[in-house]
Amino acid sequence: MAATPLEVRNIKKRFGDTEVLKGLSLEAQKGDVITLIGASGSGKSTFLRCMNLLEQPDEGEIILHGDSIRFKQTRHGREPADMKQVVQMRAKLSMVFQNFNLWAHMTLLENIIEAPIHVLGKSKKEATEHAYVLLERVGLTARAHAYPAQMSGGQQQRGAIARALAMDPEVMLFDEPTSALDPELVGDVLKVMRDLANEGRTMVVVTHEMSFARDVSSQVIYLHQGLVEEAGTPGEVLGNPQSPRLKQFLTPNY
Amino acid sequence: MLDLQGYGPRLIEGAGVTVQLAVLSLLLAITLGLFTATAKMSRNWLLHGIATVYTTLIRGVPDLVLMMLLFYGGQIGVNAISDILYYDFEIDLYINFNAFAAGVLTIGFIFGAYMGETFRGAFMAVDNGQVEAGKAYGMSSALVFRRIRFPQMMRHALPGLSNNWMVLLKTTALVSVIGLTDMVRVAAEASRATHEPFVFLIPVAVAYLLIASVSEWIFARLQKRYDIGFGEH
Repeated sequence: MAATPLEVRNIKKRFGDTEVLKGLSLEAQKGDVITLIGASGSGKSTFLRCMNLLEQPDEGEIILHGDSIRFKQTRHGREPADMKQVVQMRAKLSMVFQNFNLWAHMTLLENIIEAPIHVLGKSKKEATEHAYVLLERVGLTARAHAYPAQMSGGQQQRGAIARALAMDPEVMLFDEPTSALDPELVGDVLKVMRDLANEGRTMVVVTHEMSFARDVSSQVIYLHQGLVEEAGTPGEVLGNPQSPRLKQFLTPNY
Repeated sequence: MLDLQGYGPRLIEGAGVTVQLAVLSLLLAITLGLFTATAKMSRNWLLHGIATVYTTLIRGVPDLVLMMLLFYGGQIGVNAISDILYYDFEIDLYINFNAFAAGVLTIGFIFGAYMGETFRGAFMAVDNGQVEAGKAYGMSSALVFRRIRFPQMMRHALPGLSNNWMVLLKTTALVSVIGLTDMVRVAAEASRATHEPFVFLIPVAVAYLLIASVSEWIFARLQKRYDIGFGEH
């Protein structure tokens, strides 16, 4: 039996006096697409950022393939005990950011081959060949030598997805990947993400795109004030919401 | 035409000392500056404290005073080090090894503080998302520094760095106080001996201008190199 690619248990996080995550858990089996939805401030992005430790959870466990991240207590709160373990773990969980965060001083191609070369230790030739396959797939072959500043938001985000894929990640984390895009550019990015879901990629996606959540998720989790309010299949959560808050959240307010 | 009355070779030698002194001091200052900036941004109160004392002290005391303090105060230490270098490793790089080392150490130490502030501001100007992307892709802190933070920081640091360099270059003229024979000292000696100050001081001024112009050109190229990807050029 293959161990669960990503499991997080009872994540708690506070910023100062505000407890933003009050004990959240999630289990991503291979091929799962889990979407996290909720109003802004519900903690969904923070929860996602705790999974690869861009935020340090105050409590809770993060387990990759049965391998639990070790923590230690310091004066600044709980911190990872072994940064090497964290670095290795992050290399298996590539993240796609709301603001793309392509490295501005590198061309798109350089962005894509950077971590495979310097983190995974691939040769430049091998990484470049793989990069061109990925560029083709996200429709950006012609932009390989463009710098991020010369690309549209949609192109940057598709490029960022190619960068994430170049790591051959076990789980992909998407942090509101379409929220910073002009409406007409959202479709291309969602299409790439749908293809990834359909080919069996394991994904955890924070999103406001309800149609995406409905069509491709295996599980939808609705967060409210740092707690899971409802979770289940898209049919259950989006098709038959129980709590008044979720009903209201799903009602278009225009 | 220009008659340097036999001081030509010594002036050129002095110019060599000036350039070497300036470049080595710059390298030391950049190194100290990177450490200082890192220490000042660190959560470690001890590192932060040391860096703050260092920059406050350096920036608040005149260069000349510092230079004499460090030179006379550090003389024993420098002597000890040069003795070890000479007797154990047979390294005897310069005839005026002590004065030269003292000059590099002092100027590097002074400008390290200024560089520290320049680098700190530049590091803070790097978008945190760029750093997070590095971390999220499994880069260690050292790798994030080398591949992302440093190259992106340089774009913001270069204007200040180039300014510091120009001031540093001119500050090297102070080393004649501690007995180092740079081109200013040669010119001063020659002026006194010949009673023709302009014959020697004007070439020296031109030499400084020349070094400054070459460095401006180098800095412009560096700026172009580090601006790649940020707007059109």
